[in-house]
Amino acid sequence: MKKTIAIVEDERAIRDNYAAAFAREGYAVRGYPNRREAMTAFAARLPDLAVIDISLEDEPEGGFELCRELRGLSPELPIIFLTARDSELDAVSGLRLGADDFLTKDLSLAHLIARVNALFRRVDALRRPPEEKQVIRRGALTLDGERMSVLWNNEVVLLSLTEFWIVYALTKHPGHVKNRQQLMDAANVVLDDNTITSHIKRIRRKFQAVDPAFDAVHTVYGMGYRWVE
Amino acid sequence: MKSALTRFLELLKTGPISGFRLRTKLLLLALTTLALPWAGCQYAREMETVLRESEQQSLLAVTTTIAGSLRGRKELLFRADTLPGNGGDRDITPMVLTGAPLIDGRADDWDTDARSLVRAVGPGGDSLRLLAATHERWLYLALLVHDNRWIFDSSDINSLDPATLGDRVWLAFDDKRGGQQRLFFGSTGPGPVRARRIEALEYGRETAVTEPRIEGVWQRGADGWVLEIGVPLSMIGQHLGVLIDDRDRRGAPRSSFGTLETSDLRATGRLVAASPDLNEHLRQFAQPGVELRVASASGALLTRLEAPALPNDYTRMRGFLPRMYRLFFDGNIIPRSVSQAERERAAQELTVKAARGKASTTLVAGRYENSVIVAAAAPILSADGKQILGVIQLAQTADRWLTLRDRALTRLLNLTLFVTLFAVGAAFWFAGRMTLRISRLGAAAETALGREGSVTRSLPESEAQDELGDLSRSFSSLLGRLDEYTGYLRTLAGKLAHEIRTPLTIIRSSLENLESEAQAAKDGTPGGMGENAKVYIARAREGSERLGAILGAMGAATRVEEAITHSDRQRFDLAALVRTTVSAYGSAFPDRRFACDLPSETVEMNGAPDLIVQMLDKLVDNAVDFSTDGATISIRLRADDTHAEISVANPGPPLPAEASTRLFESLWQSRAEPDRRPHFGLGLYIVRLIAEFHGGSAQAENLEDHSGARFSVRLTR
Repeated sequence: MKKTIAIVEDERAIRDNYAAAFAREGYAVRGYPNRREAMTAFAARLPDLAVIDISLEDEPEGGFELCRELRGLSPELPIIFLTARDSELDAVSGLRLGADDFLTKDLSLAHLIARVNALFRRVDALRRPPEEKQVIRRGALTLDGERMSVLWNNEVVLLSLTEFWIVYALTKHPGHVKNRQQLMDAANVVLDDNTITSHIKRIRRKFQAVDPAFDAVHTVYGMGYRWVE
Repeated sequence: MKSALTRFLELLKTGPISGFRLRTKLLLLALTTLALPWAGCQYAREMETVLRESEQQSLLAVTTTIAGSLRGRKELLFRADTLPGNGGDRDITPMVLTGAPLIDGRADDWDTDARSLVRAVGPGGDSLRLLAATHERWLYLALLVHDNRWIFDSSDINSLDPATLGDRVWLAFDDKRGGQQRLFFGSTGPGPVRARRIEALEYGRETAVTEPRIEGVWQRGADGWVLEIGVPLSMIGQHLGVLIDDRDRRGAPRSSFGTLETSDLRATGRLVAASPDLNEHLRQFAQPGVELRVASASGALLTRLEAPALPNDYTRMRGFLPRMYRLFFDGNIIPRSVSQAERERAAQELTVKAARGKASTTLVAGRYENSVIVAAAAPILSADGKQILGVIQLAQTADRWLTLRDRALTRLLNLTLFVTLFAVGAAFWFAGRMTLRISRLGAAAETALGREGSVTRSLPESEAQDELGDLSRSFSSLLGRLDEYTGYLRTLAGKLAHEIRTPLTIIRSSLENLESEAQAAKDGTPGGMGENAKVYIARAREGSERLGAILGAMGAATRVEEAITHSDRQRFDLAALVRTTVSAYGSAFPDRRFACDLPSETVEMNGAPDLIVQMLDKLVDNAVDFSTDGATISIRLRADDTHAEISVANPGPPLPAEASTRLFESLWQSRAEPDRRPHFGLGLYIVRLIAEFHGGSAQAENLEDHSGARFSVRLTR
């Protein structure tokens, strides 16, 4: 059975373009222009993944509200924010509401589809028993590449998809400096310097939330970042 | 034609005053209060004139009243009912003396007033000049005789023996009872003499009896002799006369001359003098400071009542200020002080006028400088009003007005001086405050609009209720609108970028779909797009990517500002940071060489290392852009106790002249040639933002030899 993707986006042309791209990949796509219609449909039947814009028609923050309600309906449903708004504050708010990723519309369709595929893979992986070969252990860190889950001192660190991929790239070869470009490639994303810095900052903060002494991500000024065990 | 007012206003606008500061102008304005004392002075003078005129009028009224009380009362005016004017040249009109003369046989203390002088001429060039005067109840006579030989009586016992007789003086008058009194003076030598009267004894014998009430002194005088005598007025009736019996030798026949009938020694000349009751009558009119005089119609003074002293006689105000005031403000309305004779002459003129029947008043200069006497004279008429009996004259010192005026002036001037000082002080304070407020407002208005468009909305004085407050509030609202506008301009780029992003997404996603479709068509079904179409798609994608880059650059400043506000400060070693960062540039820009000049010790500073790196990136980017391949970019770090300075220098074209201040502004760039990379001049703006976040500043300058440019950033450690 085809996986269903719901696109909540008030701009019809974008919605249809995304819908066409997802359809090409073999997904069933349903588009909604606003929160009301989306929630009515979701109440009847949940999609397998939701791509949500933040501002919806007359509600500038409608996407956040929708995310909250959707998360209430299903804690596991992958949710991606895809928006023209790129402020740090919006990203933090969106991720705090339980979104799996926060993307700007600069992202190419190919990158978007890569993410959607990855999230579906994770959903599948979570349904299977964990595969040991996909698990990376680095000291206190346990990283499951298939389930995209991270443990620090056996405590779960909730990372967004982009953050997970950055951590994954850093920990694959600990001690090696990864520059910004390498991190962006790993995260299937095109970001400017400040956004990379923000991501690194957020990653550190999330680890520090479970372990205040966390100091494994080092900045190498002028070059990039590295994972230090 | 221009009016004087228009010209004056024009002068104010363009004249020398227009160049003055506000403070000076207000000060000048305050000084106009100095016109107050002048006005006060004018007022005081006016007051004085009015006072004086009213005084003159009231004195004239009093004079006329006294004259009226004497109307037709000849007996009160003149003693023994004498009327001057019909007795001929033998009448004696004595002067009225203010003090009793010393009876010493010398005439030098006598005033030779023509009216009281009676002349008589004898044979052989001998002559008599008779002077008469009264004082109180005495009549004084001085006989000045021109005589080439003064013959004394012999010192024989019988002074009536004709053979013993020398020069003799006869004094004859009728007494109050109508009897004739004949007295003679004879002397055996100069000195005091007594009047003697011849009395008949029985058997036809006669003897000389001394009259003790009449005394005299006989002395030798110029060209002859002088006899000075005093007679109580009470003895004398209507007529009086003297006769000189002149002899060339003792016992020789006499040659007589004088005012008596030679035959029977009868007095025919009258003694014209005031009645004894006149003074009593006048005394009831006496007032302090007022002098009364009564004169006959011919002008001869009959009596004078001295002015009793004024309780507050004129006293000059002493002290520096009153003297200054007098110096500046005393005009010459009051005649200067003149001599006693001058005053007498002025009084005489008044009397003459009154003797012609006309009452009048005048001002005479007084004894002191600037003091003044008011005099008034009125005729005393006979009962029928056809004849003028005499003249009454009153004189009053006007000194108390002077005192009043001086006191008023001094008080006024003191007050004005105080008010002026206060006004000047107040004006100075007010002007100073106003100037301060205006210059404060001006300074605030000048700096309200910052270099990079930031606007200070609040200005000083906005709480004030006056026009300055209004001005400040107008400025504030103007600045507010300016701020809104600059805010709009500042956010325009970001908003624009945000708005353009949606249609750009539509274009890009459509292109991507198109590409995917083409790919699918190529793989599967025939009849897909041709090779040309792919090229067009590629071009369209390239264009949309460039558009995306432009949007990214446009939003960059906002993102940096946002990043800066979210930055955390930490302590780090700036030298180490610069070292590692610069070492990375070698691989990033293989076409350039990097020279790093760092202090040997660590440079601890408190800041955001990420931002510092970003700042260095921008500076190096800029240096790379403006230099050619193989150029060496020099990076230097210097530090003192409070600041660290990073400078990046590159060889290349010099900076344009206006660039040094504008380089660090948003959306400003100075590039000779356009290139393919989107540039919004944001790099150096971000450098400045980061420098300012670190409490520092950024500046650009040409190298000393103009071989390139150097950008320096100063940071607070």
